[in-house]
Amino acid sequence: MANEAAVPGLAGSAQPKGRWAALFPALLKFGRYTLMRGIALLITVCIGVYISIWIANMGGYVDNIRIAGITEGVALSFRGNPLYQDMAPSERQRLMQVEIERQIRRQGLDQPFLGRSFGYLFDALSLNLGRAEVMSSDTGSKNVRTILLERLPVTLVLFGTANLLTFFLGVFVALFLSRRYGSIADRASVALAPLSAAPPWFYGIFLILIFASVLGILPYGGMIDAPVPETGLGRALSMMKHMILPLVAWLIATLPIGVYTRRTFFLVYSSEDYVELAKAKGLKSNTIERRYILRPTLPTIVTQFAFTLIFAWQGAIITETVFSWPGLGRLLFQAIGTFETPVIIGSVVIFAYLLAISVFLLDIIYALIDPRVKLGAEGAQ
Amino acid sequence: MKKLFKRLISTLKFYPTISASSAIILALVGISLYAVISIPYGRATELWRGAEEIWSDTPRFAAPGWTNVFRSEKLPETFTIYSSEENSVTTVKETSTEVITEYTFDYQYNTFPQELNLFFDAQYDKRQPYAAVTWIRPDGEEVAMYKGALRPSQRYPISQDSNLNKDTPAIPPHITLLAVSDTIGVGDVEPEVLKGEYTLRVRILTFEDGSSVSSRFTLYGDVFGLAGTDHRRRDLTIAILWGTPIALLFGLCATIGTSILTFIIAAVGTWYGGWLDAAIQRITEVNLMLPFLPILIMVGTFYSRSIWVMLAVIIALGIFTAAIKGYRAMFLQVKSAPYIEAARAYGASNMRIVFRYMIPRILPVLVPTFVTGIPAFVFLEASLSVLGLGDPVLPTWGKVLSEAYAGGALYRGYYYWVLEPAIMLMITGLAFSMLGFALDRIFNPRLRGI
Amino acid sequence: MPEKLLQVRDLYLYFRTRRGVVQAVDGIDLDMNRDDALAVIGESGCGKTSLIRAILRLLPRNVHTYKGSVVLLDTDVMKLSEERFRTTVRWRQMSMVAQAAMNALNPVIRVGDQVCEPLVVHQGLSKRDALAQAAEVFHLVGVPADFLNRYAFELSGGMRQRAILAMALVTRPDLVVLDEPTSALDMLTQANIMNVLKGIKRDLQQSFIFITHDVATTSELSDRGVVMYAGHIVEISSAEQFYLNPFHPYSQKLMASVPTLKVRKELEFIPGQPPSLLNPPTGCRFAERCHRRFDMCDQEPPMFNLEDGRQVKCWLYK
Repeated sequence: MANEAAVPGLAGSAQPKGRWAALFPALLKFGRYTLMRGIALLITVCIGVYISIWIANMGGYVDNIRIAGITEGVALSFRGNPLYQDMAPSERQRLMQVEIERQIRRQGLDQPFLGRSFGYLFDALSLNLGRAEVMSSDTGSKNVRTILLERLPVTLVLFGTANLLTFFLGVFVALFLSRRYGSIADRASVALAPLSAAPPWFYGIFLILIFASVLGILPYGGMIDAPVPETGLGRALSMMKHMILPLVAWLIATLPIGVYTRRTFFLVYSSEDYVELAKAKGLKSNTIERRYILRPTLPTIVTQFAFTLIFAWQGAIITETVFSWPGLGRLLFQAIGTFETPVIIGSVVIFAYLLAISVFLLDIIYALIDPRVKLGAEGAQ
Repeated sequence: MKKLFKRLISTLKFYPTISASSAIILALVGISLYAVISIPYGRATELWRGAEEIWSDTPRFAAPGWTNVFRSEKLPETFTIYSSEENSVTTVKETSTEVITEYTFDYQYNTFPQELNLFFDAQYDKRQPYAAVTWIRPDGEEVAMYKGALRPSQRYPISQDSNLNKDTPAIPPHITLLAVSDTIGVGDVEPEVLKGEYTLRVRILTFEDGSSVSSRFTLYGDVFGLAGTDHRRRDLTIAILWGTPIALLFGLCATIGTSILTFIIAAVGTWYGGWLDAAIQRITEVNLMLPFLPILIMVGTFYSRSIWVMLAVIIALGIFTAAIKGYRAMFLQVKSAPYIEAARAYGASNMRIVFRYMIPRILPVLVPTFVTGIPAFVFLEASLSVLGLGDPVLPTWGKVLSEAYAGGALYRGYYYWVLEPAIMLMITGLAFSMLGFALDRIFNPRLRGI
Repeated sequence: MPEKLLQVRDLYLYFRTRRGVVQAVDGIDLDMNRDDALAVIGESGCGKTSLIRAILRLLPRNVHTYKGSVVLLDTDVMKLSEERFRTTVRWRQMSMVAQAAMNALNPVIRVGDQVCEPLVVHQGLSKRDALAQAAEVFHLVGVPADFLNRYAFELSGGMRQRAILAMALVTRPDLVVLDEPTSALDMLTQANIMNVLKGIKRDLQQSFIFITHDVATTSELSDRGVVMYAGHIVEISSAEQFYLNPFHPYSQKLMASVPTLKVRKELEFIPGQPPSLLNPPTGCRFAERCHRRFDMCDQEPPMFNLEDGRQVKCWLYK
């Protein structure tokens, strides 16, 4: 009975009894998948950062960082050196200039950019980002990496929460709506979807206008009250109070389209034959929603979420600015204003990593929940 | 043809949002045309650059004139009176010609104006004309102002003439000149406006034939015009009007550039398959990970803020997006269709197959993406402006919004400054977005059964 | 033990669509005995799928009218609340095998889990017991038991159809309804499935209703045949009566259009199209295309009960 055989590729191998014995080859395949994805993402980060370095150096700015560093280093060494103390200032200037040029030649900064670009790339990827010119971290350090990494958790707190909220609320509400097609709630979700045309910072301005300016019940921005509350609980509450408006603005901008897309998606998938059959089998509504609508569509939802995350992290930049939330986005905004090149490039690198890590995590989750990937069958994804 | 028309009408009835949003879009197009026709581009940028003399007759931070309708206590309006035959009396004397111009106005507001200015435009050869300015209050009191020679183009800043408020240097002349005398400089008392008819008498003497002087008097109130003014005295109507064609064009160009190119590339790649297809997929994956906004920021900071450069970068980065994967799936289905095979059989060239058969088949799916893209790009331009990377020359809504935000409009209560560009952005965004969603319900094949 | 398994009376199912109300099931009366295999025959759009949905209460969102009585054993299931219907009737008394089983299995849950789901939900069995019972049923339909651990995409088309069949049988319901069980399959697999069904009917005394538009393949399996046309039942007869000597003009035309192996005959077709169910004609619905039409056909004929147990809805048999 040739046509009764299972899909080729699996029929030939020995059929292990029970589920646990089948786990080991599955783990191997999973591990290999993870490794491949990780390498692919790393390559894209490299390319992305490399392009950024080229763009940044369009005006020679990246080299300027190095030259600035050299100049400062030479000046420092001259100042402390007793040899030069008695010299006339003009003579000392001339000698400094000679030394600076010598260093420039030694570091190859007078050569075409291409050769050095790879050095910069390696530095950027390993987060060796140089020193800031004007800005400094809260601890007083001018090390760009310190400045950036200090702000990273602040951004994550607000936007991690925001993205997770949008995702889970979106899926939950969409699932709820998909079984109530034509109801008022459903029609409302369709009517409200265009609200997502505007970005979060836009609604942020309105919210600040209403709640901070006119009503005065919520803060204009910032992360915590000044003076800072004494107790840990007080600090936490204060921070949450400051998170209310940004989160609401974020939700107004991202939730409508999120609910609409997923609800439509679920609607399309609930007309699948196996959903019909599930209903005929007499399963409870909840079970059908969970196992027959949500579960099969979860891989696609996860992929979609990966895409939205990519844009979400970037939307954080202006939202933080509008709400004066002291995170990476606001830092980038300040750096633009002061032409703080090292910080700008550093932020781009951090963003690239942030995107890559988000996508990587979601890819892993995708692999875990899609059996076609888990078992490495052909035609997966 | 008639049947098509009937189908169109019934579709419009079924989706009321299409009619509503189309009406709004048509209105926006109308505004754009009006803006471009009534204020040519060169003039618009010149006005927006706002050199000193251009906005000399407008106040700072003035709310729109029509807001007074909603106020019980009206804010003073801004006005300018020009010297003309109606308000001037000319007397020719032996050695000079005397022109007395009287600027009269009735001031009934409860609050004081922001500023008072008198501008002179003098024509002469060698001998400068002479001017004597007097301020006459409703209670008859006369205040002597400027007396002296005139240069060709001269501004007499009444509000900054320290001679006029010698007794109360802390209170500026535009208050002291219009206040009830007892309420000035008396401890905690708020200065009260002396309501009534005021006259500014300007007596000009010219000493040459052909020498003449024209003048104008401006009272700067707290409201002006259709849209109010900003921190640089610029009439915001210009930005609101001209922002429309800029926003629409920008959105249109960006969305055309990205969606159509993406679509075509997806089609070509899917049809040719092989290394081309794989290359396109890899490029897309890399492009997805490029942090779009930070790169735009870098280009804007380090290279150029010109809107054309931004547009080019946006399109370049926006071609290889995730949408390629979606289109690719659809084109793959079409590729294996029998009529494609038939086309190959009769010897159609590859390009012909792609453009005549594959693309038209999937084209409807492009329409909603196309429409929904427009507000996304309009807001992107606004985002760049808020970040300070807006085009330095063009008056856009985003520019106004960013200047309002930077100028602390929210804290200082200049709500109109923020609300006007915001509402324009919102209306544009909503209109296109609603249209896009409705079109999506019509054109998206997966949604047919619902 | 009641003789009759199923008694349907005055069953109506209308749908609301953009173009109007579709009268898909328009007053159906139907009886069925235990151990019967009933074939519902008719062309596309005649309402046979809607009839099944009406009996199984698998209704879409745009239902306009749904009324009548469906007595299964001794209960009128139409009167049951949705919740009671779900817990007592669905899959315990009536189960279904869907048309085109390609997509009837949940792609992300193992086949075995899906098959034993009704046992766990309705009969409260433990997973282990349910899987054991599922393995038994798999054996019945000819699928190896280790396919219980597989996912749907790992099964071939024929395997999937059998798995679906197993799923429908696993609770040993009183009635199994099959919607076009063989139309999506190739000839060889069709034959296999028919054999499986025959075996099940014989060994388990399982009652079936199956819908088909392919008259030929069901000839081996059915005891009685019901012919539907435009929302009405036009003939009910035993299989033999139907295949050898159909009475209703439509049935006659149907049989005449089927090629037979041994007898040389001219294949006929019926000119015209079935009437739209949006605005069905008054009078006999087949009259327009009938080759034996006469003046009485302007009125809708009732169902005539004939002596040999047949029922025909045609004035010719008054």
